[in-house]
Amino acid sequence: MRCSRSLLPLLLRSGRPASGQTNQNHRQHQALRHLHSSPASAKSQPVSAHEHRTSKDTSLTTHEDLFEKMAKESKTKATFNKVIEVFIKQDIRRRGHVEFIYAALKKMPEFGVERDLSVYNKLLDVFPKEVFIPRNFIQRMYNHYPKQQECGVQLLEQMETYGVLPNVESKVLLLQIFGEKSHPIRKYQRIMYWFPKFKHINPFPVPMVLPEDPVDLARFSLTRIADDLDAKVTVYQLPCTDTTETGEEITRPHLVGIQSPSQMELLAKHDVNRPVFVEGPFPLWLRKTCVHYYVLRADPTPLHLKVEEPYDPERCLQYPLQLDLDLDRDLGDEESFDVDDLDDGPVFAMCMTSQGNQATLNQWISGLQQNNPILGQVPTLFRLDAGPQKPQESSQSPQPHPETQTEAFQPGEGADETVEEEPRRSHRMKQ
Amino acid sequence: MRKVFVLTRVTRLLVPERVFHSAVGREAFHLQQRRCFRTHSRNLAYAKDLFLGQINKAEVFPYPEIGNEELEELKQFVAPVEKFFSEEVDSATIDHEAKIPAETLRGLKDLGLFGIMIPEEYGGLGLSNTMYARLNEIIALDGSIAVTLAAHQAIGLKGILLAGNEAQKKKYLPKLASGEHIAAFCLTESGSGSDAASIQTRATLSEDGKHYLINGSKIWISNGGMADIMTVFARTEVEVDGVKKDKISAFVVERAFGGVTSGKPEDKLGIRGSYTCEVSFDNVPVPVENVIGEIGGGFKIAMNILNSGRFSMGSSCAGMIKKLIELTSEYAATRKQFNRSLSEFGLIQEKFALMAINAFVMESMAYLTAGMMDRPGVPECSLEAAMVKVFSSEGGWVCCSEALQVLGGLGYTKNYPFERYLRDCRILPIFEGTNEILRMYIALTGMQHAGNVLTRKVKELKKGNIFLAIGMVGKSIRTSLGGSVDLGLTGNDWVVHPSLEESAKKLEENVSFFGSTVEMLLHRYGKTIVDEQLALKKVADVVINLYAMTAVLSRASRSICIGLRNHDQEVLLTNTFCNDTFFKNNFLMVQLQKHSPENNDANIKKIATAVLANRAYTCSHPLERTF
Repeated sequence: MRCSRSLLPLLLRSGRPASGQTNQNHRQHQALRHLHSSPASAKSQPVSAHEHRTSKDTSLTTHEDLFEKMAKESKTKATFNKVIEVFIKQDIRRRGHVEFIYAALKKMPEFGVERDLSVYNKLLDVFPKEVFIPRNFIQRMYNHYPKQQECGVQLLEQMETYGVLPNVESKVLLLQIFGEKSHPIRKYQRIMYWFPKFKHINPFPVPMVLPEDPVDLARFSLTRIADDLDAKVTVYQLPCTDTTETGEEITRPHLVGIQSPSQMELLAKHDVNRPVFVEGPFPLWLRKTCVHYYVLRADPTPLHLKVEEPYDPERCLQYPLQLDLDLDRDLGDEESFDVDDLDDGPVFAMCMTSQGNQATLNQWISGLQQNNPILGQVPTLFRLDAGPQKPQESSQSPQPHPETQTEAFQPGEGADETVEEEPRRSHRMKQ
Repeated sequence: MRKVFVLTRVTRLLVPERVFHSAVGREAFHLQQRRCFRTHSRNLAYAKDLFLGQINKAEVFPYPEIGNEELEELKQFVAPVEKFFSEEVDSATIDHEAKIPAETLRGLKDLGLFGIMIPEEYGGLGLSNTMYARLNEIIALDGSIAVTLAAHQAIGLKGILLAGNEAQKKKYLPKLASGEHIAAFCLTESGSGSDAASIQTRATLSEDGKHYLINGSKIWISNGGMADIMTVFARTEVEVDGVKKDKISAFVVERAFGGVTSGKPEDKLGIRGSYTCEVSFDNVPVPVENVIGEIGGGFKIAMNILNSGRFSMGSSCAGMIKKLIELTSEYAATRKQFNRSLSEFGLIQEKFALMAINAFVMESMAYLTAGMMDRPGVPECSLEAAMVKVFSSEGGWVCCSEALQVLGGLGYTKNYPFERYLRDCRILPIFEGTNEILRMYIALTGMQHAGNVLTRKVKELKKGNIFLAIGMVGKSIRTSLGGSVDLGLTGNDWVVHPSLEESAKKLEENVSFFGSTVEMLLHRYGKTIVDEQLALKKVADVVINLYAMTAVLSRASRSICIGLRNHDQEVLLTNTFCNDTFFKNNFLMVQLQKHSPENNDANIKKIATAVLANRAYTCSHPLERTF
């Protein structure tokens, strides 16, 4: 996909850029390449070097063992690279390179280099150059060196799996190894066609590395769920460990909440006779991490209780806000139907905590109460799921906030609800 | 031309009425009271009827004119004012120091410019709307003075003039007319622009029931720093049908009542000499007799004041453009490039034509509207006034910018007044109701009027009344086959001079098309048209254009008939403007006929929604890459 203009200087600069081999090796390789055109003399010249190596290492260790052996102390990128270098130096003919590459591909996740482009390029570099390029139309017609081509495709496939985009260097290597119009080059072209197109396809990207700190992670997740730039994150409690007088250790969970001004407005308008619910936990997946959150919500207002704000003709000084006409929108122009816009009831706030028991969540509610005084009058029901944490007692025993429970609320009823009702996902999630 | 002279006679008849009025029209609510005969009530309205595809030609033809005595009287006023503005007003200094010097203000007071429209019995000049518009042409040469005077008399004291009782008028108007006291209009609050419901300033009745105590603060009050008398709008508790409700009331507040403080003047882009600041009221005791109108009736008063003050912007802008043409044409004639003067280049000529056309149209619209307002009866010209305001404020901005462009880099420097004019006239689309809001007002008022008439017809159509449908299809086929529309502007009963016949036909065609477009919109959206702001904007633009076309046709016809000097130029300007606008209107109406996905409205909304959801420009940088 890159234009040849930028490709050319790279080709000119060195046959195999960034190969990291010694000059000597390089020269040998050039000789090899040169010799390839006249196979008759191929056997004579590089033999000495070759034999020198094979005599040194004659053991028939499998390639996987090579990795295990080399990386006893630590499995890092450096050791992985070292293994590849050792393999390259072992045999100038690169005997068994296909098996070696397969083994290396398999080992990559273990060494944590599965997303490292330079390692893939280094692995590609293991292939001997120019040997597999078809030289006449018959070779071109049939599958030339199928095993090697298949291996190259596999390597690219693994890159694709881990979302690694090849670069120019990869292309140059593939061209040197398999020649244009070979299967790996086709694969490369396909990757280069689709990958850039999909790179930013997610409008709500998740960073590769998530924040380590649970508070930061909660902050990130909550802003991600709350589709409102005005929403304010409040950290109600930082995680800490206290030692009580009796010497008991108490771990306080973190408690992070989010609420937007419009949610506050909505909550302020809430009918005090109708309860609000604390529900959860609901899962949120961020790549491979799953976090859980809780919502404060209410049931949708039944139609008969909905109060339409009466139209005040003395509202706008400049123009009529409503027309006094007995005509409705034409059917053909009715565009108001929206599958997303279902009346699920409002969500007033969300929070995350590592310990989703009622005591902690009550703490959240009392924190919210500072900015939402109405919570002191509205009955608050806890409908918590067992979730990933250890199952919570559903009784109403710990009640640090007497105001949150009013006479309208019957403990038995609440307990039933807690057990029976399925948590509703009443809010929009981004992913 | 017989008809024109008939009108002349009618307007002449109005003159002695000034005496007649002072005895009779005391209780009159309207500003136009002075020239009211009250022989018949007028329900006719020109702009509203355009929405029905009708031309109410009795309203706009022939072009209104004033009597000879009035003209003489006006000329006597105009000459000294013109002299004063050209000799004594130093606009550059006013702009630079952000203050109108005391001697300039004194000069304005001596000329009586603080009470142009206050009746003579209260010590004002007692001029009509038309004459007020004429004086504004000159006053507008300095933006700061124009705004100061407008804040004083177009809105500041208008409440007393329109709705005040006799005692209030007697007490306040004489001093306001002489300029001894300056008035201000206090409506806007930090949380309330056009939204009356969010006015926070509150007036509470004191225990003895003799005073209202006003608390709150108002922002962007022109003349706020120097005003002695203020019209203040505040929330009051009113009992309606036994239920206590908050309603807006208007009060006359004197600074002398105590408790009134004003902030320091705002540092503005333009009209820097006008004193705009925040005014706070802290327990200001206002006697109950200072309530304007009745308690709780402030909303209507505010609306009337705002609606009545706008028409003069047309003549102000026209005055400014005429001045700009003088300034720039001199430069264009003397500056030489490639051995040719600038005035020989087509692209420069285009700018002058544009300015001339704009000035001509604005003038025509402004004086047509002022004339309509001066006519006997109870005129409802707020729609027309709003149209004049929108058209002239936008035209004014374009013309200032083009005038500056003629001078190029020179115009951009402070050595020339162009940059000041440009800054000053940027306020025009903003104040006295932003153009966006006025467009809504224009379109929705017209839609309501059309809806009242058409609802039954549209309902029948929706029910599937076959005869009505066939009739409509037949009509549309007839027009599409080239059957010309005849709304009576030309022909036997002509009101437009035959030399303007083509332009008149274009207007008729546009009006008829507009009528069917409005009907289609009502059919399509019904009352939900309120939420279709993009469609309403187009509707407003079309109707403003139609009114502008009417105004120039009417004016040019009169000029030809009575043989005004250079009326051939007027014909040329009229034909050019009508030709141009005809196509613009057709384009807008074709867009209106289409549904939103086809006319780009849906796309525009999508783009804006995406940008606003991100609160930033959403696209990747062009230099970004993905591989």
